[in-house]
Amino acid sequence: MTQPTKTLLERRYSMLGLLLIAPTVLVFCAVIVYPLVSAVYLSLFKIFTPTLEGSWVGLDNYRTLLAKGEFWTSLRNNLIWTVGTLSLQILFGVGMALVLHQNIWFRSLARSLILFPYFISTVVAVLVWKWLFNDLYGILNHLMMSAGLIAWPIDYLGSMPNAMISVILVGAWKYFPFVVIAVLARLQTIPEQLYEAARIDGAGPIARFFDVTLPQLRDVLVVIIMLRAIWDFKEFDLIFLLTGGGPVTSTQTLPLLVYKEAFALNQMGMASAYAVIMMLIMLVFMIVYIRRTRQEGS
Amino acid sequence: MLKKIVFNLFAWSIVLMVAFPLFWMLVTSVKPQFELFSRPPTILPQNFTLEHYWKLLSDTNFLGYFWNSVILSTTTTIVVVAIATVGSYSLVRFRYRGRETLAFLVLFTYLLPSVVLILPLYLMLVNLGLSNTITSLVIAYTTFALPYALWLLRSFMAGIPEDLESAALVDGASRLGAFWDVILPQLLPGIISTALFTFILSWNEYLYALVLVNSDDARPLTTGVMNMLISSFNIEWSLLMAASVMMSVPLIIAFAFLQSYLTRGFGAGGVKG
Repeated sequence: MTQPTKTLLERRYSMLGLLLIAPTVLVFCAVIVYPLVSAVYLSLFKIFTPTLEGSWVGLDNYRTLLAKGEFWTSLRNNLIWTVGTLSLQILFGVGMALVLHQNIWFRSLARSLILFPYFISTVVAVLVWKWLFNDLYGILNHLMMSAGLIAWPIDYLGSMPNAMISVILVGAWKYFPFVVIAVLARLQTIPEQLYEAARIDGAGPIARFFDVTLPQLRDVLVVIIMLRAIWDFKEFDLIFLLTGGGPVTSTQTLPLLVYKEAFALNQMGMASAYAVIMMLIMLVFMIVYIRRTRQEGS
Repeated sequence: MLKKIVFNLFAWSIVLMVAFPLFWMLVTSVKPQFELFSRPPTILPQNFTLEHYWKLLSDTNFLGYFWNSVILSTTTTIVVVAIATVGSYSLVRFRYRGRETLAFLVLFTYLLPSVVLILPLYLMLVNLGLSNTITSLVIAYTTFALPYALWLLRSFMAGIPEDLESAALVDGASRLGAFWDVILPQLLPGIISTALFTFILSWNEYLYALVLVNSDDARPLTTGVMNMLISSFNIEWSLLMAASVMMSVPLIIAFAFLQSYLTRGFGAGGVKG
């Protein structure tokens, strides 16, 4: 084969490659790139949502929001929620993965039962938990009272700090299976010889966990923590449906604030400013995560 | 031996505690209304009834919402998986300028929060006159489903040995012919899993549906069922639990298909939260 024909073929292949990626690029530009750019643009306007009429205000929205207490409380709530629910997910997820890695009875049934909360709709999860939390007829209050833990029914979602704790717990319940799946997959690839060697050296189960399992899990745990931190930070459905940000604004996180500003207070421009700031915060996590993935790829 | 039994009991009691809310949902949905208020609560229903399911199907708009959700999720899945299959083939097997940047963009959008995109998308779809239609939701759902499907299919595509394709090319097949005859059959399990995951994501989506659709004609299950909770004068928990069970049935079917694949081991990033 001569050199020119090969390059011709290669050029034709590149053309075909571009043709095949074209639909993706078109859709990306229309529904992701364009909206992303216009989100930044919108944040420089004052827009009334129902009429969608706006006037240029420059950076005023940003000045207002940084001076507002509500932004800072929402950011604080967002961090409490993310750190709280994420640490529970990791602790419980790793623990559960270790248990499910053992040869327990009906292991595959147990695994499916554990994974199920992750796959059901957030709407379903919230409805079920609202019924469990119900102050008059909820089973949770009944169980706690008959166990003697509480004397009176608790208001799980309507008072603080209960509301934040409940939201964090439900979030942990809903999303820890993700950690279980990922950790379980990694556990299955740890060579058995490592445990054998540790056993010969006289390491007990706890020492084996810290000396063999944990170092092997380190990489996957870093990835899981970053991914879940990003996803938990931007969580909207669960908190919005459980408490709506209440009582007052005690569980209001940034995504809820964006929604409220845009569709309850009808300030589309201001809402965009909140959204842009929120994205800038997330960008830190996202860049760290993307860098890491690229390193692994190359 | 005793140690093993104790460990099993311990493991299973945790599993059952995690699964309890779902068990409770099922039990509540088949209890008659008065039994919900009995003290102490009955763990298993004393009077088994399917009246709530009947009421859900005959007295509420549940079937309408269900149908909307089926159309919406199926359309989204077909559109997204079709675009992502050829897209991932191009990203993995072709060399051209900007390919790396594109792969990076896919990962970036995969992590993007929907609240940022929703405001401009809302304006865009209102201006296009598409608000309150299922089409508007299909367009909005591609924003999270397409990056996700691309990312998943890319890793499946990378797992197919390049030699297979080269062999077909040496035998005189065209590039597209090789794609059709060699790559697609190999990729089929990946395509099916991606389609199921995309379907689950679309089926469960809430925020876009809340913002973009405000009429029962186009409302999917998530916002529809939530509306039943908000608009009812006194909350009928059995009815809502029956709705939750019915809403989860397609997911259980999808899950059953995915299960062997999932428990075989699935790396992080494969499942979106």
